[in-house]
Amino acid sequence: MKKDSIAYVVAFTFVACAAFIAPLALANEGTKGRVEANRLFASRSAVLRAFGVAYEGQADAEAKYASLVAELPGGRGWRAELDGASYLAVKRSGAGLWGTITMVVAADARGERLRGLEILDQQETPGLGGRIDEAWFKEQFRGERLGPAGVVVDQAGTGKGDPDRENGRVDAVTGASRTSGFVQAIVNAAVAEIRAAGGSK
Amino acid sequence: MKGKSAKILKDGLWANNPIFVQVLGICSTLAVTNNVRNTLIMAAGVTFATALGSLTLSAIKGLIPRKVRMIVQVLVLSFYVILVDIVLRAYAPAVSKQLGPYVGLIITNCILMGRAEAFAAANPPWPSFVDGLANGLGYGLVLLCIAVVREFLGFGSVLGIRLVGDWFTPWTIMIMAPSAFFLVALALWGAKSYNARAEARRKAASAAARPAPSGAAK
Repeated sequence: MKKDSIAYVVAFTFVACAAFIAPLALANEGTKGRVEANRLFASRSAVLRAFGVAYEGQADAEAKYASLVAELPGGRGWRAELDGASYLAVKRSGAGLWGTITMVVAADARGERLRGLEILDQQETPGLGGRIDEAWFKEQFRGERLGPAGVVVDQAGTGKGDPDRENGRVDAVTGASRTSGFVQAIVNAAVAEIRAAGGSK
Repeated sequence: MKGKSAKILKDGLWANNPIFVQVLGICSTLAVTNNVRNTLIMAAGVTFATALGSLTLSAIKGLIPRKVRMIVQVLVLSFYVILVDIVLRAYAPAVSKQLGPYVGLIITNCILMGRAEAFAAANPPWPSFVDGLANGLGYGLVLLCIAVVREFLGFGSVLGIRLVGDWFTPWTIMIMAPSAFFLVALALWGAKSYNARAEARRKAASAAARPAPSGAAK
């Protein structure tokens, strides 16, 4: 058969596609379980971190998630009984500067005090808005008292972290006022959702 | 054979470096070089795909019909790139998440298609493999140099290890895409100037070694 004949071109293309795509399909199928486990671990460990539950490794995180966290009906969020109190967590997405910011926010069931938050996904400017994923920024929210509108991400703060847990304010990231504003909006929307789910206004 | 492989390797790493000389693969240079770890993984991915892609394409080049040559090149290169993507998703999910779509976009890196078309289509499998390897390493080397500068000045760290104290003010511009443009341009300028000077020295040396034409000086 001539190499430039239609029949050869069609047959060669078909065989080449099958030969290269079949191993990829097999590799994809073979790692599907692992990828799914990774995805679940990423989501469950974020919920644990938002609830302030420490864990060591994937197995420990899975065990603690199973024993401490209950999923709310309809995938609306999570509930955990910690230190004798009931806490709720919800996943919330909102606009960021370059893309969607997704986070898990946890607070007491009455929505009076934040338990913590964890960023699941963000595409903010590295070194500026991207610093919302740094520990100092997230730790400011832990145990912060919530006002009627929630929390204020203060643009006039020091940019190093507000240690006062009673003033309902946290420091914004210096040089990232818009991202900080977006975080405030997402956290407060999550707080409103927790208050609605917890039966308090 | 050994000498030929060494020459191909040297060409890819320096004399015909994909970034300095061929000016290929610039898009990913901008995208991933603000972090040394991601750069290393990207460079490894490109080297793997371009080396094995060139090897495979060279091995089957006698079977590929001319009409679908480029389609088959894309198919083979995509195969290796997607393999890298699958492995990262399964075994290094954090890296996979950070690199996001850039791993899949290795397929569009001009170095891969460039070497497949310019070298693997006309050479035997082993030299093609060495050429792909050399070009991947040459690309990775330049990317790594840029990434070290960007991460150090932008975060004060290299590979996530902080190297300077709190007194250091990070240069935020170094983390953003424009700094990669500046640094790639500086690297191109430096390499081209060095090569031009070396070439001029070589020419001067060979002119001096040539005997003067008879009757030229009396």
